Amino acid sequence: MILSDQEVHFFVNTIKNSSGYDFSEYSEKSLKRRLQKILIDNNSDLLGIINKIKTNKDFLEKTVKDITVNTTELFRDPQIWQTLKYRILPKFSENRNINIWHAGCSTGQEVYSMMILLNELGLFDKAKIFASDLNTDALDAAKKGNYKYRFNIGYLDNFDKVIKENPFNYEEYNDVPYSKYFKIDKVIDSIQMSDSLRQKPIFRQHDLVHGGDLYFAKFDLILCRNVIIYFKYSLQNKVFKLFHEHLYTNGYLVLGMHETMLGDITSRFDKQGQAYRKK
Amino acid sequence: MYKAVVIGGSAGSFQVITKILSSLPKNFPLPVLLCLHRLKHVRSGFVEALSIKSTIPIVEPYDKETIKPGKGYLAPSNYHMYVELNKRIALSTEEPVNHSRPSIDLTFETAAQAYRDKLIGIILSGANRDGAYGLKKLKHAGGLAIVQDPNECQVKTMTEASLKLTTVDHIFTTEQIINFLLNLK
Repeated sequence: MILSDQEVHFFVNTIKNSSGYDFSEYSEKSLKRRLQKILIDNNSDLLGIINKIKTNKDFLEKTVKDITVNTTELFRDPQIWQTLKYRILPKFSENRNINIWHAGCSTGQEVYSMMILLNELGLFDKAKIFASDLNTDALDAAKKGNYKYRFNIGYLDNFDKVIKENPFNYEEYNDVPYSKYFKIDKVIDSIQMSDSLRQKPIFRQHDLVHGGDLYFAKFDLILCRNVIIYFKYSLQNKVFKLFHEHLYTNGYLVLGMHETMLGDITSRFDKQGQAYRKK
Repeated sequence: MYKAVVIGGSAGSFQVITKILSSLPKNFPLPVLLCLHRLKHVRSGFVEALSIKSTIPIVEPYDKETIKPGKGYLAPSNYHMYVELNKRIALSTEEPVNHSRPSIDLTFETAAQAYRDKLIGIILSGANRDGAYGLKKLKHAGGLAIVQDPNECQVKTMTEASLKLTTVDHIFTTEQIINFLLNLK
């Protein structure tokens, strides 16, 4: 079942006219793939889906959730976390507060990774954590902080790399037990984040397409990883401008391992690997 | 007349791919898109290992990077790599397809949509069926389908799956693949 560009366009317009969601500046390739998956999962053709979207609000919300991609892992890409640990977060150690925004936090593994790292650096109490996503199901999962053990077992290696080891000094080893932050129960296949972590972040639904309307005025650090790969260049630029407005001078924006900033906006940042410092 | 080469490989393909990349001329006229499975714990260092032997530069591309001739693009660990119609790379963290991310099927299918009959697709040694569907799509779009000779493969599951699904243009040994690429104008 191959969808044409017009059909995808028709779908996007229907969503737009029936709700506040606008996918018209999402990358075509993955949007088309997501839509194809929705048709297969619902065992329906496009017209069937369109009619249901128009008449059934719950189905519309569910479809919007199915369009978004929700991949996230504990300490995904340890190199970036090592950069945060050794180069970025120490810069804020003298601040009275550290405001951090996880834009597109999905099911929250990145948010918990950040809190664990902040705690190890002695910065947990002064940090304010704001985490947003378009998908309210993902946000609910993030608030619960409960993950499948078997899906996450591989990422405990990343925890070790970032929290226990020091890539600049192999003799250093901090034997931080996992139980300090989460409880592993193999029998019921669960990793449960501790209450002290769970209670900290402010989770809120937020759509980057619409920009504004944010809880904090400004941030020291914004993480937005593997989100903008689903956006067209034009929307990427809008989002970068939004981030720029909401960063303090010398604040950092951290993107995913294979994402990069293009265009005029780059002159307003100082690029340091995957981290962009606002000038 | 061809505009791009796309290569998929898994278990047993590393030596083959390094041999191919080390045999290409520095001014190889086409981009080479590489989708290779790797073991979970060797996520980094792979592009460096390929680069040491390769005569053309090999990169793990950024999202939306423009594809240029004479350069190798390795699907980054833990991302799917698509080719957009405007000949740019698109990366995605969508769920694995047939337990694979990157998925060879997806790289081949999207490359076929972008390059149509101007694409050469090569499936190498591997222990699963990823790539078979993608090679079929490539052939369907008019591309040239090549499969490494299963008798030469360390693991023949992937090549045999491809041959089962598609009538390919060539079944080549590594040497023949290299000769074929060297004779492209």
